Amino acid sequence: MREMIISELTQALHDLARGFAHYLPRLIVMLILAFVGWVIAYVVKVVLRSILTVIKFDKLSENAGASQLLNKAALPPATEMLSRFVFWVTWLGFIMLGVSVLGILGLQEQIARFFLFLPHLFVAMLILFFGLLAASFFSRAALLAAVNANVPSPRVLSLAVRSIIIVFILSIVFEELGLAEQTMLVAFGIAFGALMLGLAIAFGIGGRDLAQRFLEKKFVRRKKEENEDELSPL
Amino acid sequence: MEDETFLTDDFLRQLINVGEVDILVGLPTRNNAKTIGSIVHTIQSGILGGFPRERAVIINVDGGSRDGTPELVTGISIDDVRPASNLHALRTLHSISTNYAGSPESGVAFRTILAAAELLRAKACIVMSPESVNSESDWLSKLLRPIYRDGFDLVTPTYRRHKFDGLLMTNLLYPMIRALYGVRIREAFTPEFGFSNRLGSQFLGQNGWADGTGGSGVELRFTLAAITGGYRVCQSFLGKKDHVERRAADLVPTLRQTVGVLFSALESDFSVWSKVVGSQPVPTTGSDQELLLDPMRVNRKRLRQMFSTGVAELQSVFQSILSPPTLEGLQRIAALGEEEFHYSAELWVRTVYEFAASYQKSVISRDHIIQAIAPLFRGRVCTFLGENRNASANDVETNIEGLCLEFERLKPYLLQMWKSRE
Amino acid sequence: MPLNKDALWYKDAIIYQVHVRTFYDSNGDGIGDFQGLEQKLDYLQELGINAIWLMPFFPSPLRDDGYDIADYNAVHSSYGTLEDFRKLLESAHERGIRVIIEMVLNHTSDQHPWFQQSRSSQNNPYRDWYVWSDTDTRYKGTRIIFLDTETSNWAWDPTSKSFYWHRFFSHQPDLNYDNPAVREQMWNVMTFWLEMGVDAFRLDAVPYLVEREGTNCENLPETHTILKDLRRKLDEQFTGRMLLAEANQWPADLRPYFGDGDEFHMAFHFPLMPRMFMGLKLEDRKPITEILQQTPEIPPSCQWSLFLRNHDELTLEMVTDMERDYMYDMYAESKTMRLNLGIRRRLASLLNNDRRRIELMNGMLMSLPGTPIIYYGDEIGMGDNILLGDRNGVRTPMQWSGGWNSGFSNAETERLYAPLIQDPVYGYPAVNVLAQRESEHSLLRWMQRIITVRRSTGAFGRGSIEFLYPANHRILAYLRKLGKDVVLVVNNLSSTAQAVELDLRRYKGNIPIEMFGNNMFPRVGDLPYLLTMGPYQFYWFRLRRI
Repeated sequence: MREMIISELTQALHDLARGFAHYLPRLIVMLILAFVGWVIAYVVKVVLRSILTVIKFDKLSENAGASQLLNKAALPPATEMLSRFVFWVTWLGFIMLGVSVLGILGLQEQIARFFLFLPHLFVAMLILFFGLLAASFFSRAALLAAVNANVPSPRVLSLAVRSIIIVFILSIVFEELGLAEQTMLVAFGIAFGALMLGLAIAFGIGGRDLAQRFLEKKFVRRKKEENEDELSPL
Repeated sequence: MEDETFLTDDFLRQLINVGEVDILVGLPTRNNAKTIGSIVHTIQSGILGGFPRERAVIINVDGGSRDGTPELVTGISIDDVRPASNLHALRTLHSISTNYAGSPESGVAFRTILAAAELLRAKACIVMSPESVNSESDWLSKLLRPIYRDGFDLVTPTYRRHKFDGLLMTNLLYPMIRALYGVRIREAFTPEFGFSNRLGSQFLGQNGWADGTGGSGVELRFTLAAITGGYRVCQSFLGKKDHVERRAADLVPTLRQTVGVLFSALESDFSVWSKVVGSQPVPTTGSDQELLLDPMRVNRKRLRQMFSTGVAELQSVFQSILSPPTLEGLQRIAALGEEEFHYSAELWVRTVYEFAASYQKSVISRDHIIQAIAPLFRGRVCTFLGENRNASANDVETNIEGLCLEFERLKPYLLQMWKSRE
Repeated sequence: MPLNKDALWYKDAIIYQVHVRTFYDSNGDGIGDFQGLEQKLDYLQELGINAIWLMPFFPSPLRDDGYDIADYNAVHSSYGTLEDFRKLLESAHERGIRVIIEMVLNHTSDQHPWFQQSRSSQNNPYRDWYVWSDTDTRYKGTRIIFLDTETSNWAWDPTSKSFYWHRFFSHQPDLNYDNPAVREQMWNVMTFWLEMGVDAFRLDAVPYLVEREGTNCENLPETHTILKDLRRKLDEQFTGRMLLAEANQWPADLRPYFGDGDEFHMAFHFPLMPRMFMGLKLEDRKPITEILQQTPEIPPSCQWSLFLRNHDELTLEMVTDMERDYMYDMYAESKTMRLNLGIRRRLASLLNNDRRRIELMNGMLMSLPGTPIIYYGDEIGMGDNILLGDRNGVRTPMQWSGGWNSGFSNAETERLYAPLIQDPVYGYPAVNVLAQRESEHSLLRWMQRIITVRRSTGAFGRGSIEFLYPANHRILAYLRKLGKDVVLVVNNLSSTAQAVELDLRRYKGNIPIEMFGNNMFPRVGDLPYLLTMGPYQFYWFRLRRI
């Protein structure tokens, strides 16, 4: 019994040792790959960053308007972003290589699928990011324009603009991710329709007032001008 | 690289024919056919009266008029080919014209005038406005003489105008420029001004034309460049400036051209203005600034209402721009009734300075920051009108002076906010 | 080279204006004389001129440089005898040089026997030969010409206790042309000289012959009647003779002096000259083209006479106040350079001895429509002496060499009629004929050359003028046309190099040939003809269709 246990234990230890001895080189290879990958990725990052600095990539992205957006999203400058992204992609690539050396079944497949999905995710994130930014930008623009034009209920207008843009952006994001396309289409249809209906009602109700003011402005204006001098800011 | 070919071949040929001049008059136009004839005539008599011996040229830069404005300008040359003029001149006085595509705000017109001035080695240049219908021929002398005879580099005008005219000038631009740059220029943004060859060339050679930042509000940038470059600046009293009809909707574009330009200039001029303490008057010929006191009917109620609406509706925007105490202050006065409403000078100065600092930090889109000033400016105007409703010219001046001193007093506050970022 | 028989000879003439006294002294008395001038005719022939205009050489008290004549039918003894003059005339004609003399019709010297008689008593037969009055208030509308010396046109005669009329100096009483005897006598005087062989008269101060109340007493119709009468008599009795009017007037007022080709043959174009100087200083052709635009057409047989400088001041009567101030400031900073309404300086000193400007001005003189007159000494760039009074500063002795008295006279220097120019720039050691003859690049050599070129075509003397108006106002360009002969003249009035585009489309296909070097330039095409001009440069092109 005792021998048996010892034998089994020994056997198990042997197996473990064999298995370990079998995997150890692979593990070491993986670690080496990961380390080398990190070094290479780091070098690539540094090189890329200096190249981008030399060609004034920041200035370029500033002109394209990207820097301001990044700035507003509290993200690092464009050069940093790009070089970091390249660093991670390179390093992850090496790690993946290492993992595949380990030869773990199933994991490889999962990793492959993940990598196939990654671009979609990335693009979706990007769209979402810029979409939200645009939504906030345009809603604020609408708000300011409305306030300065003395249009009633500026916030409603601003909210409407924001909502339309967000709904629109979300629909694109989901499509990009390929999630429940049919459902999303229907959901979007419903949401958009509801929004439009809401707006129509809102305008309908508020419109009476607006139309009245519009007509007033149009026809009573002359009288008003007689009573009022315009101020010139300069 | 700068785009150096913005002058057309035809214009260049005209410039070759004009050759070296002593005096250059720039005349940017766009559909001014109605007034341009009398303006050109005013300019011509100004040149013949004040500078009969000098070589002079009138350069019209037209922004795509469809009413034949450029033809009207060039048709009134004083030369031997068209001896119809009843003005007797010693010399040929060329009037040449070129046009540009693009918006009048783009600054191309002024850039073209500067380029022409440099190519023609003009000793003294002025820009005249086709809209200043009441300009007199002696305006030319008043703007040119300090440059041509006395060695100044920039002459800005002062006018006789209504006390409630140019409120953006009196309530923001003049006090703020004075406090920050230390120079008391009443009208830093005007359609008429004179400048020297030195200043013109320096400004033309600076960067920023090609990427478009040199465009909008270029006149103000020019004035600021003269100050920061250590050029000799003076003011010259011209006369009555006619009230230009402006709709309320004009406020935002005007703010962009003036306050926006000023705020963005603060960024590059930091090393200059951060060291300035107090302010100095600039030499002025003629009277300083005359105010007319005719009664004026202004709807203060509407101004106040737009202010209050703005403060309420734009709260989210103001939260990113203003400090909490300032925003609270604004909300407090927004809630006041018409009688108690008072937007104090100190609060106004803090507001403006916080806007400037936020602009520099780009907390939100810079254009949105500028737009957000509009309702607050209306509130300030409302208070200013109320304070000075029955005020004499001296009282108004005293009030403006008080505001200026407030801007100067709170300058450290701006500096502090500015540095907190760095 | 005998005289040609062409009755229109004056159109092709190049006139050299000289005072006998100033040119060459043959007898060592310090004053130039007829024999001296005769000896120097070879020099003038070499220069290329074909007419000389002699300033007054009549017996005279010389209080107005000989324009105060005391005897019309004799010569001043300082200059020689009538016989000497006759010989000079012959010698000149042998060399193809015509002789123009002065005829002062308007007034005489107060030393003239006629005036002595006239003033002697109210009843003298000569009394009516001059304009007398009991008051000095008649003809109030008349301007005073010699502002610097005279205060009125009337002068008191203590002998006959009345006022006499004088438009110039008070020692020059005006003849009374309402008197037929005066007119008759003056024609006799002219006949005297014409019969001797004189080719032309420069009639002095013609606008002032007749006075009428209520007018400015200038350019009156009665004056024209008298002049036309003289011309008629001239044409009837002589051939190939010429009358040249001195009338300092605006072009439109000058035009009547040509009549319908039945009054004067030639007249000075006074307003053009100051404008040439002005255009040069302004670097703008406007003054020149403007005055020529205002210049009326003249009858085909008539001709303008052009000059840059003469024995008088550079007159600024025919300019606006603004222009006059400008001219004073630019050309006569020092008040001593000014006289009456003018500037008493010579060409070279006016132009600061700038050879390029001197050449350009002479180039325009030779190419604008009219007969050019060269004032003696200007062909070598002589200077002036503004310290001498009145207009004597520009009447100093001709500078022949760097030797004794500049080669002008063997007399002791103190005996010279006027001091020599001595200053380092313009003095005779630096500026003289001998030295310039030796130098290929001298102004004298250049003048000879331009006169030769000018005489190579009739277009300059007789052709029409048509201005081109290139957009560059520093360029004065015009076409001179005579039949098939077309000359293009392009002048750069600027001190800097200029580019100019000329509209020559009508002459498409022509080859411009530069007339000084007879060199070809690119053929005229459809495009504007581009020329680049050096500072103060000018081109004369003969346009040839080959």
